[in-house]
Amino acid sequence: MDNSVPLFDFAAVWNSRILLLEGFGIAMFCATAAIILAMIIGLIIALMRLSNSRFLRSFAFVYTQLFRGVPLYVLVIWVYFGLAIVANINLPKIPAGIITLALLNSGYLSETFRSGILAVNIGQSEAAAAIGLTKRQIKRYIVLPQAFRIVLAPSGNQFVDAIKDTAILSIIGVPELMRMAQQQADLFYRPFEFYTTAGILYFIAVMGVTKLFSFMEKRMNKVDFTNGSQKLANVGEYI
Amino acid sequence: MGKYDFSWRIIEENLPELIKGLIITLQISVAGMAFALLFGLFFATLRFSQYRILNIISNSIVQVGRSLPLFVLLFWIYYGLSLKFKINFTDFQAGAIALGITGGAYMAEVFRGGIKAIEQGQSDAAFAIGLNRMQTSRLIVLPQAIRIILPQTVNIYVGLLKGATIVSVIGVADMIYVAQYVSLETFRPFELYSFAGVVFIALTLSVASFAWLLERQLSGKSRRG
Repeated sequence: MDNSVPLFDFAAVWNSRILLLEGFGIAMFCATAAIILAMIIGLIIALMRLSNSRFLRSFAFVYTQLFRGVPLYVLVIWVYFGLAIVANINLPKIPAGIITLALLNSGYLSETFRSGILAVNIGQSEAAAAIGLTKRQIKRYIVLPQAFRIVLAPSGNQFVDAIKDTAILSIIGVPELMRMAQQQADLFYRPFEFYTTAGILYFIAVMGVTKLFSFMEKRMNKVDFTNGSQKLANVGEYI
Repeated sequence: MGKYDFSWRIIEENLPELIKGLIITLQISVAGMAFALLFGLFFATLRFSQYRILNIISNSIVQVGRSLPLFVLLFWIYYGLSLKFKINFTDFQAGAIALGITGGAYMAEVFRGGIKAIEQGQSDAAFAIGLNRMQTSRLIVLPQAIRIILPQTVNIYVGLLKGATIVSVIGVADMIYVAQYVSLETFRPFELYSFAGVVFIALTLSVASFAWLLERQLSGKSRRG
């Protein structure tokens, strides 16, 4: 080890804090926007997979398999460079990154939503039909609100994955946390300090989101209406 | 902007190179999975230990491993460690270790979940008929836990396989890397990356359907006493 260089020097990191935090903000923005988009697309795809039309079902199946199978690295290059080449669509970097993450996550979320919808007790829909609700009303007022609670925890996991995946967006030059860390690490020749800091920031973000979702889950799942008997979850805790 | 003419011949011409890259991708994902199994088993065992401190340590390591993006781990191991501590891994080793840490954190949870899913009554019964701890684990708990663990393990391998695409950023000559440098020479990025994408979709789908088959096959018999 060179004597003139101190072992750990986080001063450079501190000097670049504004850039790193900016990158962190962009990463969180990309992940949040992507997951919201992915939830909308995922819900549509899930409903398509459960529809009566054979065409919609197979379209949704292919969509899910495609976006669950393709690696993010390839997808982001396709969206950013491929679309420009094939369709002459030149997306700016951040929207390209958000669309990529949204496509990838919608594949996973649609499967989650599908299983969530299927997990709602069939008796609920039957009861709703018995009191005269239409098919549409049943979906909207009875099945989906209950399915929402079931899919909350897996959706939280997907959000965590999206946050981690934003790091890969740096390869198309989205100025997110990893990109900033890379630039600064090269500039100051301090890769260890910068990547450690980036890692800590990602860790904080992931922990925060995990805690947030488990809190929401606790608040929502006081009563469990999933398959089987309508049992009260954790009765002792709430009564 | 002029129209882009597709030239898929480029794939054919560079097929041997691309296949060589694919083999490296497979090698690194298998090496990563081997690390992941070791890490996972080790930390899952620690979580079942009777010493609280070991539980806490392994729990935190698993949490950290699951929270760090693979991309960050790669750079941290390959560039960070080498410059700071003079620990110089080759690009392949760094990639395999990063994949192993990420996969291992997930595997630890899979192992724990699988072992926890076996009812306590099973071990109690085993003790009652006079088996010792070792025998109970080996003969009663593990054979049942395997049925739960195996399909999930294959799913984690699919994740690692997809993760293995990004090791090219530190210079591992995998398929993406080959696609990259051939496209720099030939200006055919679209064809090459599309080819890589299709290969990966085929690969992950076939491994994933293998997991699905395995799950159906194994859950045929009752798994809880």
